[in-house]
Amino acid sequence: MTNKIDGDAIIRRVAEVMINELKLEDVTPETFDADVDLIDEIGIDSMDLATVALVLQDEYAIHIDEDDYPKLTTIRLIADYVGQRIK
Amino acid sequence: MKTLVLNQAEKSPESKPVSKPDSSASTGTTRFSDILSDPAVRERWEKVRRYFFLRESTYDMTSRCNIRCDGCYFYEGEKQYAENNSDPDAWRRHMTAEKERGITYAVLAGAEPSLVPELCQVCSDVIPLGAIATNGVQPIPTSVGYKIHISVWGNDQTSRRVRHAADLLKKQMENYRDDPRAIIVYTFTRENIDESREVIRTLVKNNFKVTFNVFSAPVGYQGHLRHTPDSLAHMRSTMSALINDYPRHIIYSPYNTVAHTHTLGLHSLYGCSYPRRNPSKTIGLGRSFRQYRSDLTWDRQAACCVPDTDCDDCRHYAAGSAVVTARLFRHAASSATFKAWLDYVDTYLAVWVADYSKGTNLCHHLVPPPGRNPA
Repeated sequence: MTNKIDGDAIIRRVAEVMINELKLEDVTPETFDADVDLIDEIGIDSMDLATVALVLQDEYAIHIDEDDYPKLTTIRLIADYVGQRIK
Repeated sequence: MKTLVLNQAEKSPESKPVSKPDSSASTGTTRFSDILSDPAVRERWEKVRRYFFLRESTYDMTSRCNIRCDGCYFYEGEKQYAENNSDPDAWRRHMTAEKERGITYAVLAGAEPSLVPELCQVCSDVIPLGAIATNGVQPIPTSVGYKIHISVWGNDQTSRRVRHAADLLKKQMENYRDDPRAIIVYTFTRENIDESREVIRTLVKNNFKVTFNVFSAPVGYQGHLRHTPDSLAHMRSTMSALINDYPRHIIYSPYNTVAHTHTLGLHSLYGCSYPRRNPSKTIGLGRSFRQYRSDLTWDRQAACCVPDTDCDDCRHYAAGSAVVTARLFRHAASSATFKAWLDYVDTYLAVWVADYSKGTNLCHHLVPPPGRNPA
C-alpha cells in the first residue's frame, strides 16, 4: 500500500473489489461507471456493502463506520471516503 | 459432546441499553481476511453469503383464526380490523408488484394463513421463496412450497389453557409428519420452560425439526407469559441442554441462545433495522421491508415482522433473523464473534429457506453480542 492518494487508483480498486466480492457480471473495472447508483441501479444491499467495506477496511487499514453506509452509494463516493481516511 | 460455557460477562449483563457497540468493536486488530483464513469459516461464509439476495416482506393473509391464544400479537393494535382482501387476482397483482420492487422472500403470517390456502398458493406461485407461520391445526397444501413454521407453546394441557385448543400437538404432528417443509417453532413463555423437554422429546421421537422462539410481549401486555430475568436465565440453560441433547433435530446455535435470552431485547442489543425503529430509507430493511395488512395496505410506523410487540421486550425469532443477521460488520470484529454470527445466519437460513441444511455449529461457547463484553 502507498500513502500517495491516487483517486483514480482507488476508484479502480473499489470497482475490482465490488466485482470480485459481489460476483458482478458484464462489467469490468474499466467499464464500471464510478457514478452509477449502486443501490438503485445495481441492486446492491446492506450485506453487500458490508462485505465490500470489510475488504476495503483490511486493504487500506482504515475504519469504516457502520453509520456511514447510507452515504456510500457510488464507487466514487466510496473511493472518496477511503481516500479521506488514508490521508 | 460439546459443553456450553457461560461467559462471565453474560452472567451479569449490563442493564444499560446500547444499540451500537463502540467503534473498537469494528476496528479491532483482527483483519477480516485473517478471520476467513480458517477453512471452516471460509466455507461457511461462502455458503451463507449466497443468500444475501433475500429481501423479505411480510403479509397478513386474513384477520381470521381458528384458535385464540393469550398474548397473540395479531389481535393487538389496528391491523386486526383491516378488511380482508380475499381476491386471488388482487393478491397475484400485489405479489407481482412486490417482486418487481425487489422482494425475493415472502413471510405469510397473521392471523392464520392456512384458512386462505388459495392466497398462499398465489404468493408461492409469484415469489417462490417464503415461509408461513401457522398454528398447524389445518394442513397447508403441499403445492405451496414455502417453509411451514408450526407454533408450539407447550404440552397439550398448556395449549388447552393458553391457546384454548384441545389435542393441539397431536393434530400438528398428524398434519405435518414427514413433511420436509415443516419446522416446529417452540415458543418459550415464562411458564412452559420445564415442559419443553417433554414436548421436544416427543417431537424428536416423531422426527420433527425444532427451532426456538421467545415470547415477546405485545405493547401493554402485563400477563403471566412475559419473561423475567430469572425465566430468561432458566430458558438459556434449558435451550443449551436441548441443543446438546438433540443436535440433529434442534435448529439453533449457542449464539441464538445468547441473542434471544439476554436481559436486553434485540433492539437494545443490535439496533432494530425494521422501518418501525429505523427511519433510514436508503438501504437494507428500512428501504425494502413492508408489513402488509390483510387489506394489502401498509404503515411504515408499524412495519416490522411482529407489529404491536413491545420493542423493549422483543426477542422474537423472526425479528432476530433479520436484526442479528444484518449486523455482519460489527460481528467481524473477532474470529469468535464472526463464527457465532455465521452460526446464527446458518440457523436462520435452515429455518427459513427450503432445502437449506444447517451445518454443525462453529462456535460452541456463549459469545456475548459485540460491544456487550466490558472486557
